[in-house]
Amino acid sequence: MPKTDRDSLDPMLQARLRAELGAVRPPTSEPRYASAGAPIRVWRLAPLMLAIAFTGILALTAFAATGSPNPAVWTNRVETVINPPAPGPSPESEPAQPQSQGAPVAAPAHKPTAPPTERAEPSGSPEHESPEPSDDHQSPNPSPSPGPSPSSSPSGDH
Amino acid sequence: MADDYRPGSREDFDRLYQVAYPRVYRTLTVLLSDPAAAEDCAQDAFVQAFRAWSRWRPSAPAEAWVHRIAVNRAISYRRSAKLRSVGEILRRVGRPAPSPDPADHVMRSDLLDALRAIPPKLAAAIVLRHVHGYNNREIAAALGVSERTVGSRLRQAGERLRRALEPSFSLEASSAFQAESPETYAKD
Repeated sequence: MPKTDRDSLDPMLQARLRAELGAVRPPTSEPRYASAGAPIRVWRLAPLMLAIAFTGILALTAFAATGSPNPAVWTNRVETVINPPAPGPSPESEPAQPQSQGAPVAAPAHKPTAPPTERAEPSGSPEHESPEPSDDHQSPNPSPSPGPSPSSSPSGDH
Repeated sequence: MADDYRPGSREDFDRLYQVAYPRVYRTLTVLLSDPAAAEDCAQDAFVQAFRAWSRWRPSAPAEAWVHRIAVNRAISYRRSAKLRSVGEILRRVGRPAPSPDPADHVMRSDLLDALRAIPPKLAAAIVLRHVHGYNNREIAAALGVSERTVGSRLRQAGERLRRALEPSFSLEASSAFQAESPETYAKD
């Protein structure tokens, strides 16, 4: 059953109610909502949260890869991976680099642009260190002396 | 009430505040006898409404929507005030009663006291209808009930108010809501 908007209150009472409540003046205070500010929606912070998460994951990955918490080390590692040093002309010369030859002190930091031939020289093979072994090759066995052999002497005695 | 407000618009909410705040405040002065509490609850209601302003749907009148927030806020305040009053009584045992606040004089009358004596949702229905001129649909939106329930509440509020004010005033019988069944307020 549809309801009507008919008043159910005595008109005199209704008028009195309006008069009494109409006399009530609301205090003219500053609206509180004006200083409350608009609510910050979570989705507006999504790009910032994504950037923070991505940076965190990147830092953890870099730490795991380099073992160092220093971002400078991470940068060096990235540069090394992206721009690796030029390889030497012959891979054989690389194993000769270690200080197995008793070199005085190997340079702690080799310049990657240094010519590989300069590094190969101090680690040369032992054959090149002294000329004596080369002479040994020329006469590995005792050659017959130029002097007369005992076998030939009987014929000479004759 | 012409609702040409746009949800989320700050300018429209400012306009709504200018129009609705005095009415909301007056409604709350009936529900709450303390003017400071009425102002506090009204301001809180507008803060809450402002935060939800972007979710407001024009299908419900904006002023009724704010009224709904404010009435619920006032009912919560009354509940907590009852608990506080018990503590105040216990603390004041044996002490002289405090002097009345002069501001309360404006808020005091037998009519307003009678309205405050009935359940707040009944009193709110009376004020919305007979002071602010809301129709049943707007009262239903303001109180969060059906229009059928609004009619029932108006009828019961009139009867209670008449009994409280007798023999000062006479209320005419509410023939408009004769088919209504009595409402149980414990459900609300």
